[in-house]
Amino acid sequence: MILPKFEYKRAENIAKAIAFYESYNGKVHYLAGGTDLIPLVKLRLSTPMAIIDLKGIEELKAISHQGESLVIGANVTLFELKNNDTVKEYFPVLYESLDATSCETLQMRGTIGGNILQGTRCLFYNKSLEWRTSRGFCYKMGGETCNVVPNARSCFSNYCSDNALSLMALSASVKLFGPQGKREMKLEKIFSGDGRNPFTLLPGEILTEILIPMKRSKGTYQKLRVRGSIDYPLLGVAVSVKDNAGRVCVGGIGSTPLVYNIKNINGGTFKDVAKKAQNNVRPVSNTTLSPGYRKKMVSVLIQRAIKQVLKEGK
Amino acid sequence: MKTMKVTFHINDEKVNLQVRPYETLLETLRERLDLTGVKEGCGMGACGACTVVVNGIPLRSCLVLTPEVDGASITTVEGLRKDGKLHPLQEAFMEKGAVQCGFCTSGMILTAKALLDRKKRPTKKEIIKTISSNICRCTGYKKIVEAVEEAGKKRV
Repeated sequence: MILPKFEYKRAENIAKAIAFYESYNGKVHYLAGGTDLIPLVKLRLSTPMAIIDLKGIEELKAISHQGESLVIGANVTLFELKNNDTVKEYFPVLYESLDATSCETLQMRGTIGGNILQGTRCLFYNKSLEWRTSRGFCYKMGGETCNVVPNARSCFSNYCSDNALSLMALSASVKLFGPQGKREMKLEKIFSGDGRNPFTLLPGEILTEILIPMKRSKGTYQKLRVRGSIDYPLLGVAVSVKDNAGRVCVGGIGSTPLVYNIKNINGGTFKDVAKKAQNNVRPVSNTTLSPGYRKKMVSVLIQRAIKQVLKEGK
Repeated sequence: MKTMKVTFHINDEKVNLQVRPYETLLETLRERLDLTGVKEGCGMGACGACTVVVNGIPLRSCLVLTPEVDGASITTVEGLRKDGKLHPLQEAFMEKGAVQCGFCTSGMILTAKALLDRKKRPTKKEIIKTISSNICRCTGYKKIVEAVEEAGKKRV
């Protein structure tokens, strides 16, 4: 498929990237691995004037220990992060979600920053311009309706990052750098709750670093998918346990993942959390599996994940 | 729109090209350099038919802009033959009958090559995991996995 016309700019540092952003009046896209962005541009879901390549920014490629946190540069590839010893030893939930992401070749290209900030997906949105024109534009394309749920008031597109769920279960935060300056916030705060514009990032902001509190954890990631490889999650459940306190993150349904805390993982209350999560999710017919099945699987996967953590103790 | 100057090594040969900024590596390789061993399958990064090895890493060339690989060293299936002799992987694919229509084969071989280059004797499990990056719709994967195993043995 042929790409639309745009210019290509390579930024050597963050300041330069932001300068490029401003010189094109914001009509640009930042490019890291490109595994999510290039298909979107090919489908004309986005038509930037320029693409700004961030891969050359050295400071975004490092994994380091700073104070009480593991600091991961946004340009670290998923494969590199998966093979990091600290991740394997301290954060098994993140290791498992990285391993479950797509396939090895795409893990070698895709970056952790890009994985977190990937666009939300819908069977009726990620289609060619011709397909979408004949169907009629939906909310997410700037239209007046939803093509999945008649009379819906919001967009139900799904957020499909595996690793953001694990990072949220690990209480990670992110650092952002934009034209208005730097800021740091909890990862769950980057979600706006609206599928049309799923992130709360300000215009031109770049995700620079991800910080995970350095504390040994047990955990696992469960992914509902049709094929064993390449697929996006149709539902993802990340569970992380530190000193008996558990954190569960459910994603892949709707544009914002849900997070639940369990005070005492051995106390048997996790069944209530599983039930609560199942009641809270709102799946619709916008994936290859039926909404009813995905809803039921929420409780199944949460219980399966927690039982596995308790049994294996990893 | 202005074209861009790009320089890279392709199969140990240096090339200088003027390319469009919105040109994918796949288009450059097939249309400017006539390296038609690189195939376009889905064009969306899902199938792996367009895989080439860039600086030792297998990449989907349909998702890579040519300006991104400025200065890189690229290997395509055409570059695997050395001194008139096929690469052990190519031999093994023929020997084991791991080819049917052949469309996925160059991508499969290059994905497997990158694996064998970073790991001398991968286990069957590791091979399956790596090969699952690529889609084959006719032979099934059994013979392909056998061929990669065979090539791994031969190289030791």
